[in-house]
Amino acid sequence: MLAVEGLEVAYGDLQVVWGVSFQVPENSIVGILGSNGAGKTTTLMALAGLLPPLAGEITFKGESITGVPTHRLVDLGMVMIPEERATFATMSVADNLEIGAYTPRARPVKDETLDEVYSIFPRLAERRSQSAGTLSGGERQMLAIGKALMARPELLVLDEPSLGLAPIVVESTFEAIKDIRSRGVSVLMVEQHVELTLEIADHAYILEIGRIVADGTSAELASDSRVREAYLSL
Amino acid sequence: MTQLILQSAVSGLLVGGMYGLVALGLALAFGVLKVLNVAHGELLMLGGYASFFAFSLWGVDPFLSLPIVFVVLFLFGVLLYQVLFKYVTRFDIENRIKNSLLISFGLVLVLQALAVRFFTADERTISTSYSSEAITVGVVRIPVIRLAGFVVAVIATVALEWMLNHTRFGRAVRATAEDWTRAALTGVDVKWVYMIAFGISAGLAGIAGAMISFGYAVSPSIGLGWTLKALIVVVLAGLGSMRGILIAGMFLGLTEALAAVWVGGAYREVVALVVFLIVMSFRPQGFFGRARV
Repeated sequence: MLAVEGLEVAYGDLQVVWGVSFQVPENSIVGILGSNGAGKTTTLMALAGLLPPLAGEITFKGESITGVPTHRLVDLGMVMIPEERATFATMSVADNLEIGAYTPRARPVKDETLDEVYSIFPRLAERRSQSAGTLSGGERQMLAIGKALMARPELLVLDEPSLGLAPIVVESTFEAIKDIRSRGVSVLMVEQHVELTLEIADHAYILEIGRIVADGTSAELASDSRVREAYLSL
Repeated sequence: MTQLILQSAVSGLLVGGMYGLVALGLALAFGVLKVLNVAHGELLMLGGYASFFAFSLWGVDPFLSLPIVFVVLFLFGVLLYQVLFKYVTRFDIENRIKNSLLISFGLVLVLQALAVRFFTADERTISTSYSSEAITVGVVRIPVIRLAGFVVAVIATVALEWMLNHTRFGRAVRATAEDWTRAALTGVDVKWVYMIAFGISAGLAGIAGAMISFGYAVSPSIGLGWTLKALIVVVLAGLGSMRGILIAGMFLGLTEALAAVWVGGAYREVVALVVFLIVMSFRPQGFFGRARV
């Protein structure tokens, strides 16, 4: 589905990502794990066409997407949920979902998708006319995911979905991510919450100061002594 | 005295409608592109001349030429975006404001000089057969063309608000105004939204100019004065509500008119600015703005 090869990205004069390569196979959940400042968000910004990479090749569904503008990527089926407040606070829940289906790809099936989203998150249907800025943290996360689903993604990219959420909301968000994969959507998620991510991911990469230092299936990583020491505090 | 106050109040509200109409386009460009276009008044001036020449050269009624003026200025706005403001929108928000101020101030000088060169510095007014007609309501006399200008302002406000709230493009505009990165991640072609929004902003300036050359007067130097009024109105209203901008415009017009009666004509703008400062110290987000922007 997605393949990144030798990605190098700089933030202004400061190079943050050094030769990062990873893959997201079809119908899988892949995690990129790492602490603050490891270059996770920068990697995603390059992926989404928001930062031009210095070098490297990104292919999506077998075609190169390096240099393709952000809004075109959404239409191709790669939808990213940025970290925190991914929704439009000044708009109602209904308007957020409506604009979620903005692309030509999503528009013709908008009504069916909306029914589907409301069936996954019935709470959103109740809050339909409320402005997104007044939602609780958990509801806003549901809306962010619901809005992304409205775009009919084939690959959903999440930037730290657990950030700033209560533990119980994090659990339900991760359940929702599993549910989304079972509907045939591949998932790439960037996380600091290593333990929970390894529970749902098929494969994960460990990113440290802009380089991939380890990768493997979730079971392999969870039993790797270095990973256990550094990230799982076991 | 009552008659004078009533008459002034009505004239003030009508002028205020024009302030609101001018501010509408300025607020759209600022809210969406984060570009502060101080040449907005010069676009208005061009719209005024377009309407004036359509009338004096070809005898086109100013109401008939209104849609044409909108389209011409819309296209001119798109052109300005493509050759100037597109480059400003590459910066972050803070630098966009600074750079757009410099660029648009240059544009003020260029457009004014060109207008003097091609249209001469004379003040022009459109006078049609019905220009001097008026309606009398009680003791108040309302000139028809100024009332028409006000009606145009109301229609423009309602139309813009409807477009923003109920169309697909409007939702894209609101999304872009709130956060362009998130809008792009939603699939919105942000550059296209910028271009069309700037075109609409210029088109609205054109309509305002047409109504001003009709109910008031147009000359190459009128721009900056209207831009300043519009800036005051935008700050007074706060971003977020188009209706709020029209109301704030009427508030400013009314304040000026009443100040002219009670304090004296020479002080109308001073009094209006003092009232503006008082409002700002109690409600820095403006009448209708959201508390946190």
